[in-house]
Amino acid sequence: MKRLFRLLCSFSFLWLGIPSANSRPHDLLVVGMELGYPPFEMADSKGEPSGISVDLAHALAEFLQRPIQILNLPFDGLIPSLKTGKIDLILSSMTATPERARAIDFSEPYLQTGLCLLVPRHSPIQSVPELNSPKHTVAVKQGTTGHLYVLKNLPSAQMLVLDRESACVLEVVQGKAAAFVYDQMSVLKHWQQNPETTRPLLDPFQKESWAIGLRKNDKALREQVNTFLRSFREKGGFQQLGQRWLPEQKALFEKLGVPFVF
Amino acid sequence: MQTTQRHGLSFLRTRPGETPSRSALTLSATLAALLLVAFIAIPMHRSGIQWDFSGLREYWRLYVEGWKTTLAISAAALALSTVLGLLLALAKGSPWLPIQFLARTLIELLRGTPFLAQIYLFFYILAHSVHLENRYLAGTLILSLFSSAYLAEILRAGIESVSPSQIESAQALGFTPAQTYRHVLLPQALRSILPPLAGQFVSLIKDSSLLSIIGLNELTQNAKNVASYTFSNFESYFLLAAGYLLLTLPIALGTRWLEKKIRYEN
Repeated sequence: MKRLFRLLCSFSFLWLGIPSANSRPHDLLVVGMELGYPPFEMADSKGEPSGISVDLAHALAEFLQRPIQILNLPFDGLIPSLKTGKIDLILSSMTATPERARAIDFSEPYLQTGLCLLVPRHSPIQSVPELNSPKHTVAVKQGTTGHLYVLKNLPSAQMLVLDRESACVLEVVQGKAAAFVYDQMSVLKHWQQNPETTRPLLDPFQKESWAIGLRKNDKALREQVNTFLRSFREKGGFQQLGQRWLPEQKALFEKLGVPFVF
Repeated sequence: MQTTQRHGLSFLRTRPGETPSRSALTLSATLAALLLVAFIAIPMHRSGIQWDFSGLREYWRLYVEGWKTTLAISAAALALSTVLGLLLALAKGSPWLPIQFLARTLIELLRGTPFLAQIYLFFYILAHSVHLENRYLAGTLILSLFSSAYLAEILRAGIESVSPSQIESAQALGFTPAQTYRHVLLPQALRSILPPLAGQFVSLIKDSSLLSIIGLNELTQNAKNVASYTFSNFESYFLLAAGYLLLTLPIALGTRWLEKKIRYEN
């Protein structure tokens, strides 16, 4: 009996004795993003992170003079990872919402966009309220602001929650869903890729701004990030990013008379 | 020297044909429970996460609805995949070569490719082309098909485990092939295939969670939705795990009971 007890004790000490797995250099800046949202967050042909957010992250690291590591995480895993210290900040086209602000802090916004609709090409839908009926299926990507918008504002519609953006688009292309609720730039891109089967309704019905997510009470880093964003904007960094990654969209926005996102 | 002296912890060891004492059973169960709790509670505590289930209360209905949907899909797929699996197993053993090859190809395709890819391709290409737009029906169908390939292999192995002389005896007694399967092969095969069969059924229930990628509002999908509404990912997944255990444990216990019953009958 005694031996057993001792055995048990040694077990529990074993557990408590494991040091927390934190052996990275202390000034490493770990940035979390989901590399599934081109051209903001994506992987190049070698599998390396690339895109607007990646460029922005590197500019930030350079500004802070810290080494950087980019972690590819699923979008709905970003906030939990930030909260548990696996990453230092989120730079993943994340809209600063009041709900999220309860869990994490946000920097000043760096981009303005809005929710709009992608509908089948020959659909009679002209505006969002028309979708609020049980005969309409509305596709949303899980965990996005579009998801929360439909949950709150279109209670009568059949909400179809999908993991992948591409599946949401496919639902509209195949006419299974009456609309896909997403941000302006993505809707524009999907319409360009599927001009035969889809049609965009670009007028935003909910304005949104994207910001960098930070751990609650990480005030020092938040200040640094805000300083960086201001100086980056003044130096015309965002203009350059827009020119480099989104030239077509920029031109289309101008043609349609909708203000561009940066 | 027949009465071996026992001391220390040796009373916790079972010996064939001997029922362990009540105190040994109680102590062992307590020990296992303690260790399990320690292995769960200590990391939970050390993670530094503030566990708070109160945010989930508002969405309890989503959990119940999702659980019921998972139960319905799994039950339907379980029945259908058993039938399909048996057909595939019989087809694989068929004396007709085309049937045999067809079954083999189907089994290898279903077992050798990721279920995720199968769901996507089945729903957006195959089902779409035949105007099968009901995603619940399509999901149940592809889950049944996927699982039937594994069941076919399990059933086939069970059937082959019965000695060929039994089939010859059945033939000698004038049994038709159908009668041979029904009265000679299957009852004997059942004994050896029960454990892998139960494992496959448990897998089927868990695999149903992948159907969330085509938007079925089953337990995993609803739990993930609640997580994105409340940002309580850990709490939400905790409940999710409990929900699946509630479905899989009865299968494990039921098979154990069935195994015992068959053993007594023989």
